[in-house]
Amino acid sequence: MSADALAYIMYAVFVLGGLGIYFALPQEGRWPRGLPWVLGLAALAGFLVVLGRQFAPGDGGGFYWVLFAAVAVFSAARVVTHRRPVYSAVYFVLGVLAVAGLLLLLSAEFVAVALIMIYGGAIIVTYVFVMMLAQHAGRPVYDNRSRAPLGAVLAGFLLTATLCGAVADGIAALPTEGYFDANFIVAPPADDGPVPAGNTAAVGATLLSRYMVPLEIAGVLLLIAMVGAVAVARKHVPSTELDVLAPPTERPLGEAGRQAKPFLPELKKV
Amino acid sequence: MTHYAIVGALLFGLGLVGFLSRRNLIIVFLSTELMFQGAVVNFVAFGRLHQNLQGQSFALFLLAIAAVEASLALALVVLLFRRKGTLDVDVWRTMQG
Repeated sequence: MSADALAYIMYAVFVLGGLGIYFALPQEGRWPRGLPWVLGLAALAGFLVVLGRQFAPGDGGGFYWVLFAAVAVFSAARVVTHRRPVYSAVYFVLGVLAVAGLLLLLSAEFVAVALIMIYGGAIIVTYVFVMMLAQHAGRPVYDNRSRAPLGAVLAGFLLTATLCGAVADGIAALPTEGYFDANFIVAPPADDGPVPAGNTAAVGATLLSRYMVPLEIAGVLLLIAMVGAVAVARKHVPSTELDVLAPPTERPLGEAGRQAKPFLPELKKV
Repeated sequence: MTHYAIVGALLFGLGLVGFLSRRNLIIVFLSTELMFQGAVVNFVAFGRLHQNLQGQSFALFLLAIAAVEASLALALVVLLFRRKGTLDVDVWRTMQG
């Protein structure tokens, strides 16, 4: 297959997928429910067949790549288009697992496990907590209507096409032979010895030698973010002494939204 | 590595679509996390292409930044929800100036 034909097929697949996303986005129009599914799954299948044919043998491709890429892209599409936020979060977890699989195929074990722990463990739990805190009665209208779906899909299509074109053009000039063993999960070592440890130790050494200062700065940044999150989202719970000195109505106007009922109402009468 | 980079680009593009079109604040920020994932895939893929560990190191820093972004964004979401009782982005149109 020539490079031009491949590019045109890829663009056609992207147009198909974009149409699928457009019809799947929550909006007012009525079309058959199966339409976005047919378009989206056809685009996904075409994408996988073209890319799998072109690049699969060796180079970290093969069956596992097709599996993880399909699950990642499908669940990303569902995150974007699902009308219920909690289901979006669940599909996001599925996508995180698929992306972690892709990273394993790239022999980045530490990043893969860190991705599962941080995204699937910490961030998504926080999201679900906020969904419970900020719950709306019934099925709110802002989940059932998108804002400018056509423009968004066009922007996404342009961005993706540009990125893929740049990747396909520029990457051919780069070396392709991997230094690390990418496929040890797909093909474990022949003898019964231990699975190769991969490069986790090397990543740790790099982080603690070459990127020592950035690592410390990242830690400080996390601390600042924690303090900032507490400061932004805190609820003002008035204590009895403060209320006697300055009643809630005399506080600055910006504090008005943060008022809460005191925890111990019986103490207030003292 | 081309196919990994293209999967990363697809995740990034889908995240952009969600960021631009959804009206629920929480889904908007979930879409940014999707874009982070596309970036992580690209970092690691290109790190392996160039046969060094900088890609993985930057992916780890990216995870830290993602955690920071999520915590601050969700704190803001809680604050905004407490002010107006809705997660609709369009309610905050006055901030456009």
